[in-house]
This record gives sequence, C-alpha cells and structure tokens, in this order.
Amino acid sequence: MESVSADNTSSVLLALKDIHRTFPMGDVPVKALREVSLEIQRGELLAVVGPSGSGKSTILNLIGGLDQPTAGTIWYDGRELSSCSPAELTAYRREEVGFIFQFYNLVPNLTARENILISTEISSHPLDVDEVLELVGLSDRLHHFPAQLSGGEQQRVAIARAIAKNPQLLLCDEPTGALDSRTGQRVLQLLIDLKQQLSKTIVVITHNSALAQVADRIVYLRSGTIFSVDVNPHPAAPEEISW
Amino acid sequence: MNALHRKLLRDLLQARFLLLAITAMIAVGITTFVSLRSSFHNLDQAQRSYYTQCRMADFWIDVNKVPLTELPQLAALHGVTEVAGRIRSLANIQLPGVEKPLNVLVISLPAKPTGVLNGAVLKRGQFFTGQRPNEVLVNHAFSQARQLQPGDSFHLVLNQRLQSVVMVGTATSSEFAYLLPPGSFLPDPENFGVVYVSQSFAEEAFDFSGAANQIIGRLSPHDSSRREAVLAGIERLLEPFGVLNVTPLKEQPSHNFLSGEIAGLGAVSAVLPLVFLVVAALIMNILLCRLTRQQRTIVGTLKALGYADLTIFFHFLKFGICVGALGSLLGSLLGHLASTGMTLVYGEFFEFPDLRSQFYWYLHGWGMLISITCSAAGCLQGARSMLLLQPATAMRPEPPPQGSRILLERITWIWARLSTPWRMALRGLLRNRFRSAVGIFASAMGSGLLVAGFLMVASTWFLIDFQFFRVSRSDLDLVFKSTQDDQALEQLRALPGVDRAEPLFHLGCTLVHEHHHYKAAITGLSRVAQLTIPRNATGAILPVPESGLVLTQRLADILHVTAGDRVILIPTKGPRRPVAARVTTISSSFLGLAAYAQIDYLSQLIGEEFAMNSAQLQIHPGRHDELHAALKTFSTIESFLSRRDMIANLMGTILAQLWIGIGFIVGFAGILFFGSIFNNSLVNLSERECEVATLIALGYSPWQIGHLFLRETVVTNLLGTALGVPFGYLLMRLASLAYAENNLIRLPVVQAAWVWYATGLLSLLFMAVAHASVQRRIVRMNYLEALKVRE
Repeated sequence: MESVSADNTSSVLLALKDIHRTFPMGDVPVKALREVSLEIQRGELLAVVGPSGSGKSTILNLIGGLDQPTAGTIWYDGRELSSCSPAELTAYRREEVGFIFQFYNLVPNLTARENILISTEISSHPLDVDEVLELVGLSDRLHHFPAQLSGGEQQRVAIARAIAKNPQLLLCDEPTGALDSRTGQRVLQLLIDLKQQLSKTIVVITHNSALAQVADRIVYLRSGTIFSVDVNPHPAAPEEISW
Repeated sequence: MNALHRKLLRDLLQARFLLLAITAMIAVGITTFVSLRSSFHNLDQAQRSYYTQCRMADFWIDVNKVPLTELPQLAALHGVTEVAGRIRSLANIQLPGVEKPLNVLVISLPAKPTGVLNGAVLKRGQFFTGQRPNEVLVNHAFSQARQLQPGDSFHLVLNQRLQSVVMVGTATSSEFAYLLPPGSFLPDPENFGVVYVSQSFAEEAFDFSGAANQIIGRLSPHDSSRREAVLAGIERLLEPFGVLNVTPLKEQPSHNFLSGEIAGLGAVSAVLPLVFLVVAALIMNILLCRLTRQQRTIVGTLKALGYADLTIFFHFLKFGICVGALGSLLGSLLGHLASTGMTLVYGEFFEFPDLRSQFYWYLHGWGMLISITCSAAGCLQGARSMLLLQPATAMRPEPPPQGSRILLERITWIWARLSTPWRMALRGLLRNRFRSAVGIFASAMGSGLLVAGFLMVASTWFLIDFQFFRVSRSDLDLVFKSTQDDQALEQLRALPGVDRAEPLFHLGCTLVHEHHHYKAAITGLSRVAQLTIPRNATGAILPVPESGLVLTQRLADILHVTAGDRVILIPTKGPRRPVAARVTTISSSFLGLAAYAQIDYLSQLIGEEFAMNSAQLQIHPGRHDELHAALKTFSTIESFLSRRDMIANLMGTILAQLWIGIGFIVGFAGILFFGSIFNNSLVNLSERECEVATLIALGYSPWQIGHLFLRETVVTNLLGTALGVPFGYLLMRLASLAYAENNLIRLPVVQAAWVWYATGLLSLLFMAVAHASVQRRIVRMNYLEALKVRE
C-alpha cells in the first residue's frame, strides 16, 4: 500500500479523486460513477443523497474497500486504497471501517452479543462488547437472536457491531430505511451521539434528503456525478425532522 | 469457541435433518469399510498364522496305496521341499446314543503330531499319549456339536471292522479350517467331523503297513511358476500306485473357500463404501451450494467486517469436515461392532485355533481421512463460490435464476399434452441438471445394490434347488469300501423303509483331450436313474448315453471340449487301458466337476459286467430310524451321507444368512434412496419457498404443492431405479465371473421376476417415506415469512 506521510496529520481522512466506476452489463457498460472527487474530513458526519441509481451505494462500496474504481484514486489516511491488494483491503475493512446496512445484515443464528463478537474477534483494538451494548441501549437484550428483536433493536445491534471494533470510519447504508420514523430518529440520535462521544467519521447514504439535515455536509449525487456539496452549519436534531 | 464457530455449530444444528441423512450415508460407508476391511485382516492374519502353525501343505495326492519307501524319491524332485505320506479315509462313526449313521474323515498323524506337514493344533485334552494304541483326537467343532469329552469312547468302522477308540483330546488343522461334508458347500459340524488316529493304528486298521494312500507335500516357494510341472512330475512317479486325485493348494476345498471369502471381502470393501461416500459427497455438494447461496448476504457482511476470503472458505469447508468426522466416528464404532459380529459368525463356519476381532487403528484412521476428504470435497464448490464472491456483489441479492425454454418444450406435440404441474416439474428437473443427475445416480446406486443383492439371493436359491433337489434327489447316499455286484443292490432294496435304491459307480479317470487333461471321478448311473439326473441350465433332463459321457460345463471348459468331441479315458482302476469316449452332452453344474456315464459302460472299462461302489436311497417318510438300525449291520459300507440332514442344515443356515443379508441390503439401499430424495426435495423446496408461498396465496393446497415436488421425485427416482437394474445385473455378472473358473463352486446368474418387482416396490416405498417427510415440511412451512423473503 502506497503511503503519503504528509497526509497523516491532515484533517482529511478520506479522499476520492477523479473516480470512475463502470459495470459491464451485457454489451453495454453502465457508468455508475463519473469523475467523482470528494474529501471526507475527520470527525464529520457526511450525508450522500441521491435517487435510486445515482451511485450512492457504489461510492459506499468504494470507500468501504468492498470494490475498486475503474479509474481514479482513493486515499485513506495517507494510504492509497485504490491500489491495494484484496488482502490489504480485507485488513482495511477489519481495522478502519464499520458498516451499517439498511437491512442490518445480522447473522440470524447468533445472539445480539455474538453478532458483535463476530466483529470484535478479528479486530486488533476492539471496544468492550458489553459497554458497546450498553451504549446502544441493548444491555438487556444481549442474549436475544435477531428474530426476537424489533427492527430498531436489530439496527442498534448492527450499529454496535460496527462501532465495537473501534473503526475510524462508520459507513451507513440507508440506516433508517427499514425503520419507522420514530425508531429512525432514535437510530440517528445514536449515530450523532457516537460521533460526538467517540469522534468517529460517519458517512450516511440515503435517498431521503430530509434525513440528510442532521449531517455536517451533504453531497448530492445525480447519475453518477456529484451535483453539489452543501455545508450544513446548523445540523438539525433528529427529532426535528420527519420522513 | 469464537462467534464464527458458534455460527457454524448453529448452522449445523439448523440443517441437522439434512445433514443427518448425509451423515448416515457416510456412517454406512465407513461402517462397511471398517467392518469388511477389519474382517478381511482378521481372516487373512488368522489364515496366515494358522498355515504357518500347522505347516500347511501345497498339494494333496490321493493314491490307491503307495509304500512309504517311495517318499525319498519324491522329495528329491526339483521344486519339492518336503513330502509325507498318510492314511486318509471316510469312515462311519458310531457314537453312544446316536442312531443315525454319521461320517467322519479319518486322518493318520505321526505319534508326535507337531511340526509335521498339516499338523494339528491341540484345543483340549492331549495328543496321543502312547499308552493305548486306539487313542484318537477329534476336530474341535464336531466334538462340541456332539458334546464329546476327552476320555470318551466310541466306535469307528475302519476297513469293514468295528474298532473301539478313545478320545484323548480335540484338535484343529488348517487343512480343515472350512470342513465340508462330501457333496456340500457348507460345514455341518453336527454331522461331519475329522478323527485323527496315530499312524501305527491306521496302518494296522487299514492293513497299510508301511504304506499310505495320500501324499502331501510342500513346493519350493521360488519355483511358483513351475508348480504345475512339478506336480506333474510327482504324479508320473506315483502313477504305478494308482493316482486318484491331485489337488494343488488353490483347489483344496478349505483353502479355496477361505481364500475366496477373504478375496471377496477385499473386493467388496473396496467398492461398497465408495458407493455411499460418493453419493454422500454429491448430496453434500448440492446442500452446501444451496446453503452458501442462502448465506450470500451474510458472507458479504462478514467480508465487509474484514473477514478474509480464506477464513470464509474454510468456514464452509468445516461443514464437510464436521459431517465427515461425525459420520466417520459413527462408522468406526459401528464398523468395529460389525466386524466383531462378522468375525464371530466366521468363527461358526471356519474353524481356527484363535480367530479374534482386532482393532486396527490405521483402518479407523483411513476411514476418518476418507470420510472427511469425501465430505469436504462435497463442500468445495459451494465454499469456492463464496471465496470468489466479490464483497460488493455479495451485498446485492442474487440475480433471479434464468428462466428459459427447456429442450423438451421444442417438441410441441409432447409439451402441449403436459399439464402445468408436469411442465413445472420437468422444467425444474432440466434447469437443475446437476441436482437431477445426482438424484438419478443415487437412486441407481440404491437400486443396483438391491438388484445385485437380490440376484445373489436368487442365485443361491437356484443353486440349492438345482443341485440338491433336481440333480441329486436321494435321502441317503452310501459308499462301499469295495466294488459290489448287483446282489448288494438287491439287499439294499429289501431293507425296511427303502422306497428306491439306485446303484452308482464312481470311477476315477484321467480325461484327456488334445493336450488338456484332468483327473475326475466319472459317475456311472443306471439306465433308469431317478435319484441323480443330469440337467442343462434350463433344468431339462439330459439322457445319459449307452456309450459316451455327459460332462458338466466347467469340466468341458477345462478340457476344451464341446458336445460331439472325443476324449480319452484312462481309468485309475482295473487294467487302466485308455479308451476313447464321445462327449454327447454338456450338462450344468454349480458344485464340483461331475461327469456321467451309464454304469454298464463304466463297468466294462474296468473289465466287469456290473460294478457299483456307491448307492443312493430314497427313504419312506417316517422310516429313517428303522433303516438306520438295519444299515448298521452292513459292514461293507464305508460311509453314509445323509443328504436329508445335510439339506436341512444347508437350508437352515443359508436361510438365516439370506434374511440377514436381505435386511442389510434393504437398509443400505433405503439410506441411499431416502437420503438422496429427502435432501434433493428439501433443497428444491428451500429454493422455491417464495414460489410455494405464492402458490398458496393463489389457492393451491399444501397437498397440491407436495404433488408438484413428488412429480420431480418420481421422475428422478424411476429413471435412477431403471438405470440401477443393469448396474446391479452387471455387479452380479462380475461376482459370477469371479467364480467362473472355480472347480468347487460357481454362481449362476438367475433372472428371477421377483428381483425386478421387489426392487421396484422397495424403490417406491423409500420414495413414499422420503416424500412424506418433505410433505410434512410443506404443510408446516411458514408461508407469510416466505412471502417476505427479499430475494
């Protein structure tokens, strides 16, 4: 992995430069991202907003180390992600990134606590699992299986799983997409609290622009390109927004 | 235990019924491997150590009478390392309180019978003490069956004289590990045994001072390629003394049956476990491919969490390792128990001084390795697909399966006539070709096993019926010490209870055709013989010509003759003039090497008008005891063969064996059928949960849906069963071929209708049981949950 020492102290945690991502679909290549450049600051909550097919998930996959760009470079904390080997990307995901999915993606036959353990067992500096569960307010549900938890509870387990390995970056894919409005507000509040208490950098992708009002910055995507980047000097509190 | 292992454990528990079916197949595979292979080693080692202990001979040559002074000349032949002469004769034994005539083989032994060729191993009592000349040893099995104890006295009719003897001990010898009564292929320790007498006692009793009637010896192990030539040389030297029979080790009945059984165990232990393990690996492949597809998003999540590809690959491989390990542990345990049981059963048939079931660590180790390898190999495809799956792709749901027209749809006149459920079933079968092929393969293996097993039963049954009820039909056979005239026959006919008496004349001859020759006893039959009837393979009676011979197929094969050819007969008795005789007919026989001629024709060959040395009796029901008492006064009779008792023993033992055999075959085949149908149907059901839920929503009943699945099962199962029939038939043919050149026993291949019906019915029964389990799952399925599946 190429290293740029000058960037290590920079406020920029992650940078995308002239990113292209093309998927071959039969004879016609589909350009999911075109010339996307973006910098993500340490400790910020960034929302990526766009309609379905705008390239939100592709960006998330690229910065999460799940995918590689067709062209362009991605830098994370002074290291070039876009030239990493699969093993290096695995290590990156293991140590630096926490994913939160729309449908939680919990392992159905593991309890809440075990779903978190499955993440902490492979990371070098994990947090205490029980403390994390307490942080997300699930201390009394730790021995329940996903099927025995409500949607909000499942998403909180997913959040706990993501933060328990103590990553720098939390990537949330429609974190409230499968939740009702009230539960969604609670989950958002939890993310904001984590950002503040643990100084995490959080990227939330959503198709819902109302939801993005809680972010420090909002990136608008349309047809695979960045349409605009808005700074939100006064992020809204989750209870102030509705969807 | 880390979380990933906990996931593995719970995944295993969740799929426990499917995995249990696969585990059962692996367990059966390893059980058969361990039990057959252990029994193979138990018997093989017992045979080797027994042969060494008894100094087993390499050849046996029966002669009329040879002076022992000839032995040094024989021993000096190149390729011969050792020879010995002994006296061997069938004799009538009279035990206190036993009315019916019993036979024993009397064998002479040196006064100190250890370290000699074909020596005896003492089991109870002691060897000859020298205190009394009439001391005898009795073979252990006969003494146990007849409850004889050292110190007991009884009588033997030796050389037409009643001799009182004292039993001093019991013994066994490697040449009689499988002791066959004349004319049978199963030991009968209650009615046939061996009595060892001292050489001096035998010489006196048989008037054989300084002579023997059997030469035994060993050949140089370095000249194995010259064995036939060496034996021919010995035969030439012994020719003046009337060579009756030359038996090399491979044709010695006990060795032949024991070695055949050991070789059979070796062959079956290589093939049978493989069938179960291959089917288990294929079904494991189907199951794990489905499981990995189901867990695609979980795999994506794990990869997103930072789990390495190889960790996930090995996670899925561990499914196979766990199932293989569990199956192999069960198989090892059951295999060891089964081999202990089998060795005990072998102990009932084969008499060894020390036959033990041993625990072979390396076999269990191999079993574990083979089962884990097979099971893990079954997981490779599914685990590899997860290894190759890109994390970003894994996060997206699997694209829906391709829905295109199948080949059959192009044949419109067939397709148009099919109902929608049949179309769905056929599309399902042809779109999942690998799964369908595995289903057909597993059913074919199950059906092949049933057909081969049932054909073996039919073959045994046919052999018994043919040999013991259709060719030989007497109740009691008598062997005279010397040649008798027709007066003796009239005397027999006059005995109480005799419904029919027929003469037999067994004449030892060398049969020569071109450069092929063989020593065989030709059986002379009366013109109107009813108690021995040569038949062809279809059971049709073959007339015995006034001059000429009827040869059994195997003997004809050895001599390379067909009906119409001429052979040269050189009798071992009388003037021994070579005579040319035409082979008129070739008959069928599955035991021994028989040849038939008319008794008058054979008598003329030795210069007599009528000669008989044996007779067959048909006894009036309920008058056996009367006849037995009367026969005791016949001092000219050397031995009796109660065919009635022999057949009763044969039927009892064979029937018990056949039932046990059928039970195992049906059980094994059932596991193959059930495991395959159950797994295939449930994987099919889990893939189509959403479709099933939709059909329920459309108004289908669970039974109607069950019928959709049943149609696919019926097609694969019936196709597999049909393909298994020729496979099973082929296995039987191979088994029969293995015995084709055996001079003692051959296996007929019988086409019995019940075999096909029973296979078909059992296949349907297994299918019904497996489908009942699938139908239960359909009835209990949570349709609402299935409708919510995001895929």
